[in-house]
Amino acid sequence: MKDLSIDFCGVKFMNPFMLSSSPVSNCAEMIARAFDAGWGGVAYKTLATQVTKIIHPSPRLNKYNNQACRMIGLQNVEQVSDRPLEHNLKDIKWLKKHYPKHIVVASIMGFSNKEWEILGKAAEDAGADMLELNFSCPHMAIEGSGSKVGQAFDLLEMFTETVKKAVTIPVMAKMTPNITDMNEPAMYAKKGGADAISAINTISAITEIGLDDLVPKPNVFGKGAASGYSGPCVKPVALRFMADMAQNPDLGLPISGIGGIETWVDVLEFLLLGASTIQVTTGIIHYGYRIVEDMMEGLSDYMEEKGFNSVSEIVGKALPNVHHTDEFDLSRQGVVEYDLDRCIGCGQCYIICQDGGGQALSWDAENRRPVMDEDRCLSCMACSFICPVEDMIHYKEMPKGWVRHDPEPMED
Amino acid sequence: MEQLAERAPLFSDEMEKGLTLTLAMEEAARCLLCFDAPCSQACPAGTDPGRFIRKLRFRNVTGAIRTIKENNPFGWTCGAVCPTAKLCELACSRTAIDKPIQIGKVQRFIVEHGWLMGFSPIKKPDKTGKGKVAVIGSGPAGLTCARELTLQGYEVTVFEKKGQAGGNLRYGIPPFRLSEEGLSREIDEIVSLGVTIKTNTPIEGKEGLKKLKDEGYQAVFVSTGLWDPIRLGIDGSDLTGVMSATEFLGSMRSGKASEMESLIQNKVVAVIGGGSVAMDAAQWAKKIGAKDVYVLYRRSYTEMPAEEKEKIQALNDGIHFLILTQPVKYVGNGALQGIVCRRTRLGDPDDSGRRRPEEIPDSDFELPFDVAIEALATRPEPALKEMAELSWDKNTISASDTSLQTSTPWVFAGGDIVRGPALVVEAVADGKKAAQAIVEHLEGKGE
Repeated sequence: MKDLSIDFCGVKFMNPFMLSSSPVSNCAEMIARAFDAGWGGVAYKTLATQVTKIIHPSPRLNKYNNQACRMIGLQNVEQVSDRPLEHNLKDIKWLKKHYPKHIVVASIMGFSNKEWEILGKAAEDAGADMLELNFSCPHMAIEGSGSKVGQAFDLLEMFTETVKKAVTIPVMAKMTPNITDMNEPAMYAKKGGADAISAINTISAITEIGLDDLVPKPNVFGKGAASGYSGPCVKPVALRFMADMAQNPDLGLPISGIGGIETWVDVLEFLLLGASTIQVTTGIIHYGYRIVEDMMEGLSDYMEEKGFNSVSEIVGKALPNVHHTDEFDLSRQGVVEYDLDRCIGCGQCYIICQDGGGQALSWDAENRRPVMDEDRCLSCMACSFICPVEDMIHYKEMPKGWVRHDPEPMED
Repeated sequence: MEQLAERAPLFSDEMEKGLTLTLAMEEAARCLLCFDAPCSQACPAGTDPGRFIRKLRFRNVTGAIRTIKENNPFGWTCGAVCPTAKLCELACSRTAIDKPIQIGKVQRFIVEHGWLMGFSPIKKPDKTGKGKVAVIGSGPAGLTCARELTLQGYEVTVFEKKGQAGGNLRYGIPPFRLSEEGLSREIDEIVSLGVTIKTNTPIEGKEGLKKLKDEGYQAVFVSTGLWDPIRLGIDGSDLTGVMSATEFLGSMRSGKASEMESLIQNKVVAVIGGGSVAMDAAQWAKKIGAKDVYVLYRRSYTEMPAEEKEKIQALNDGIHFLILTQPVKYVGNGALQGIVCRRTRLGDPDDSGRRRPEEIPDSDFELPFDVAIEALATRPEPALKEMAELSWDKNTISASDTSLQTSTPWVFAGGDIVRGPALVVEAVADGKKAAQAIVEHLEGKGE
């Protein structure tokens, strides 16, 4: 196994894999089992003072399935920790005592400037290695908290500054994706003194509506609400925010990547786009802590194969290849190429080329095979995405000067 | 109406366990959604799996139920008993990737799901009173024809000789292949649309059809099936314990089941034959407590006409296959005590394309048996052959391939009585074809 350790804000992580602040990091007993399974760190379930009693809505979660594929997304109305603050602090202390090499990041959320300060200090005193400021929970049931702060940039800056003044450990600000440009709040966090950014928190969403009762789910006794959505379906959105922030030369802060991570490939993509640690919740709610084994092994084998000696060498490695769409070279064009010897004749390519592509395919009914008119192919590649035969349809670049034939207008 | 709610599959304690919504969705997700779907071209009865699986995949469960039931009143039955491995699933494109979609199981699931959610896609016809049509025999061909004509506004009466409707589905297929309750549901659906079924009412003999005509029936569909078992006719056939599969299966599905059970419990049973009926009889005998069940078959394993799945099931149930074995004599004293068998070997292929069994001289051996069940072919009952209006082609009624019209223009015939032993789905196809032809005949569109 390769050395997967990485430095993050001067804190040494044995590997970049963290539990994110959520039900999967609710108490020391759970986190200890996650550490035993291989996770290198944890963003401990968000601490709050007990001025306001936290009561969770019931039920808390709803799934988003697509056809036979379960839980490609998950919606939650989870609040910050509902355990007594002193229990959480005790648990953090216990974890640092029994797992001194593992990194405990305390997530905190205050409902006033003073609370942010108190919570930051208390967590540092309990032994937390870092803080994560939760500016981003999209469904806190209390005004002036969660993503409402993440959208009010002056508050975000003020609270960051307050915490930074109160503690000596590094401070990371967690961003909400429920905005247009994440660089804006990230820059305010930096101005407030943040040492790192974590992103993304959940996306405000509605996953499902009951067809009988017409109530969005989770159905909390007749009421539904837009609330935090996560899981594999949000990963592409999260990756885009990674690249946006990592390419911002003014920001220049390390990033902890979050959003739909389940496999080592997901991890790698976050690293390649500039994250240097990653955090997981939904994947664990779906599969349990054990998935970290495959992340470690997969990442290690990839590093071995590609000759990377440390995780930090991977960080940001794909960023030079991320451009704006107006930078594409439009003089180069291509089509798809079929290896018809391997075709099984399902004809899905024909249907979608007719209805969603360039009508480049016709159908040989006798032999059940598509017949290609290259000059009509849009190179959309959609046929290759649905073809059930692995690797049967390829992209082929056409010679310079080749021109695609557009459809003729209809005439009476 | 929560059409997408998961429910426990029906009849799972009796038959092979059915799919759940999740499992059916997983099968639907495997479907390649072919253009001009080969599965849909492979069904003799015009079932359109390409369409109903797509509907399931796009969560249009009610539409999937409608697609199946509009086409086939025995959609559930066919899902359960159709040899899909030889039809739709054989044509499935997915086979070239790994294995076919379990089309039969998905079909059965969709119909059961409709029952569980109380959804009936087929409604009573708005217009009735177009005319009277009689159907003889309440098997899949007869009841399908009856439903189609009823939906077109005809007043249809089905005459059934036996005590309950269903024909071979009820009296020829064991409940572990086809739940009796499920079958009754499909028949009840047909009846609820306005079909009248008169049980214990045979129509046969010289005057049978004429009587119907006199009662005002404008057309008749003859779908009696084949109920007279062909017997081996070897010495000792009159011994107690020697019977036909028709008798065995029929008794098990009537009031005589307990009598049959006490005859078979702890006894050694021989089933003679290699078709689906032989497998059904052998497995059922085993299930009701036979000590040992042997299948005696005169050709080899691969020539057995039973489905691969049925043969494997029988073997796994502990049934012994004695292949290349020809029974030549029953021995006993009032009751059967044993069967003298002769060893055979395979010679050249016969007309069926299967290699012909040749007896090996001086190879006789005797095995002890208490019960022998002959599962050979069946032929029409003699009283049917007396019907004056019908012309016969050996053991089947002659009827037009395209319209199923017989030599008497107002008489149509289909199912096993025309085809010889055939599939349920083929009987359904005949029922639909005959209904269409009868409508055309009565409404003057035909010749």
